[in-house]
Amino acid sequence: MSMSAYYQTRAAHHGVVTSDWLAQSQEAATRAVVTGGQEIVDGGKSGRAFSVIDEFNNWRKQPDLAEAVAAIRALAAVIRNSEAKTMMELEIELKKASDSLKSWDTTSISLTAGCDLFMRYVTRTSALEYEDFNSARSRLIERAEKFGEISYKARKIIAMLSQDFIFDGCTILVHGFSRVVMEVLKMAAQNKKLFRVLCTEGRPDRSGLRLANELAKLDVPVKLLIDSAVAYTMDEVDMVFVGADGVVESGGIINMMGTYQIALVAHSMNKPVYVAAESYKFARLYPLDQKDMGPALRPIDFGVPIPSKVEVETSARDYTPPQYLTLLFTDLGVLTPSVVSDELIQLYL
Amino acid sequence: MWHRSASFILDKNQNDTVYPADSVTLTPPPPSSISTPQNPNPNLNRNMSMSAYYQTRAAHHGVVTSDWLAQSQEAATRAVATGGQEIVDGGKSGRAFSVIDEFNNWRKQPDLAEAVAAIRALAAVIRNSEAKTMMELEIELKKASDSLKSWDTTSISLTAGCDLFMRYVTRTSALEYEDFNSARSRLIERAEKFGEISYKARKIIAMLSQDFIFDGCTILVHGFSRVVMEVLKMAAQNKKLFRVLCTEGRPDRSGLRLANELAKLDVPVKLLIDSAVAYTMDEVDMVFVGADGVVESGGIINMMGTYQIALVAHSMNKPVYVAAESYKFARLYPLDQKDMGPALRPIDFGVPIPSKVEVETSARDYTPPQYLTLLFTDLGVLTPSVVSDELIQLYL
Repeated sequence: MSMSAYYQTRAAHHGVVTSDWLAQSQEAATRAVVTGGQEIVDGGKSGRAFSVIDEFNNWRKQPDLAEAVAAIRALAAVIRNSEAKTMMELEIELKKASDSLKSWDTTSISLTAGCDLFMRYVTRTSALEYEDFNSARSRLIERAEKFGEISYKARKIIAMLSQDFIFDGCTILVHGFSRVVMEVLKMAAQNKKLFRVLCTEGRPDRSGLRLANELAKLDVPVKLLIDSAVAYTMDEVDMVFVGADGVVESGGIINMMGTYQIALVAHSMNKPVYVAAESYKFARLYPLDQKDMGPALRPIDFGVPIPSKVEVETSARDYTPPQYLTLLFTDLGVLTPSVVSDELIQLYL
Repeated sequence: MWHRSASFILDKNQNDTVYPADSVTLTPPPPSSISTPQNPNPNLNRNMSMSAYYQTRAAHHGVVTSDWLAQSQEAATRAVATGGQEIVDGGKSGRAFSVIDEFNNWRKQPDLAEAVAAIRALAAVIRNSEAKTMMELEIELKKASDSLKSWDTTSISLTAGCDLFMRYVTRTSALEYEDFNSARSRLIERAEKFGEISYKARKIIAMLSQDFIFDGCTILVHGFSRVVMEVLKMAAQNKKLFRVLCTEGRPDRSGLRLANELAKLDVPVKLLIDSAVAYTMDEVDMVFVGADGVVESGGIINMMGTYQIALVAHSMNKPVYVAAESYKFARLYPLDQKDMGPALRPIDFGVPIPSKVEVETSARDYTPPQYLTLLFTDLGVLTPSVVSDELIQLYL
């Protein structure tokens, strides 16, 4: 335990490539086959595109699973159910499935990034390495399962990395509900650290209320704020912890609406802003301003009817530039925003 | 003494102090429906080419005409009619009773600020007083003022209003007048006049700010302020083309009310959740807020969220304008956010909250002066650093 968390992570990371993960991936494969079996009753080409979206939705229903992991597992199921005889044919099938997944939800960054990363991995697995197509195919399936496992463990890795930054008596400000941040705080509570959490309401989802409920169950002192009260309480805050919907090339993040505002206020008062994001959220995007992303709209319920002449700003997310972020906790390690582009190059090239 | 003039530049001879009316309204203020007052100065219509600043001066001086006498007499009649219901009891015990009731009666008018209602209630105290000497009257007023202040300890403008009125009373020395009765009627006149001036303060502020609203600009407002509503209404009536971004103003949803009012005026409005201020700050040209109170440092105390918006605007070099009447200037100097008397307000989240979870229920925050650009008051357009000078003039 005297090892730093960083090397513990590395050990855990490499430790994935053991007989354990083989057993886990076989179990996952069995599970996928059982689920996929219901879908391939149709068989044939038309059944395949159908099964990708359904497979994806089946995986998505699990509350803990991130969208990208669900997408990877769905694509792995596509490989498994594929009737292709050559690598090229398999790639074409996967490309079609990946495109249909991406078009199913164009606003989801991690979904797009996850599909892209998987496709790059597939195209790199050259069939020349293997004499036999079937062994190449099973290799692909193993890799897909392993990616799913790694991504599933990513939250634990991030939580372990961030434990060093949470000290006794600190006050953490969180925004909305992020499962990664929830994992961080849960692990800190389990490690018997004494800290308290200020939690914004997270309009209009009220996701902050959900986070407050979860933290109250862990006996962590929680205080709810309305979104307007962030600057009011920023004096007593030691650090800000947010998740991310996507990490962009500049090192900035795309997250729930309000993150930019909180980061700006925290930066003006010299409070560190920490981002917890898995590596599959790294995307090839470079927004130049707030409106430079694909719109992701979300209706807002004000509780009273709004006159028709009144417009409403319904964007669900904003972009936080890298100068307002201090550190990013990812399963690749603890990164500064400027290192993100290096990591992206490594991931994509 | 009653200050008739608005600015320290003019009227050095004036030694009237305006009684500030302190009342931080915790209950949501009703929608602004300011009835158009009659124009006291006929010169106003002729000099449309004058800048708004001097139009204001003219209007201000125009108050001291026979018109305002008529208005104050009318107001006095109104007050007597209301006060008459309360003095059925008579006697000393009836008087403290009548102050709060008088105050509440005035407060019920949707347009009236709390401070003005307090001044009028105190004027009614003078009118109903049976005192025979100045000292006795002062003691009565002090008791009434204290009861008003203790009725709502969190209201800044109410406290400041009562304080300024008391200072005025104690300075109206009986030696000036041979007759106590004439001194007393003088006090009543001054009280009525203060009520009128404060009532007109919103129009003055609206006129002052017209120069700052240009065609095609985007204004960000927070919550619902009757003064800001007056500013925007006047700009709309002057056929200026602008649009308004309006925060929701949790938990009162006061921003929704403002959006409704502006939609009726055919001003393009866009509603934002409070979190979306930084997101839209790029397209904003200026921020307009009201104030619950203006403090000695030049900062303001206003609805929760104002500090956050001012901070975001400052970081993006957008001007923050404050519209506040002069009776909101208070002798306070908060050193940080928690250095004020707490004003709590329950928040309805729509779902039950576990008992272990605390909630930050403060209703207001303090915006330091470095984030404010200009204050529009009926004393003129001030920078935050000038506020302390004005306070000295008001209180000394």
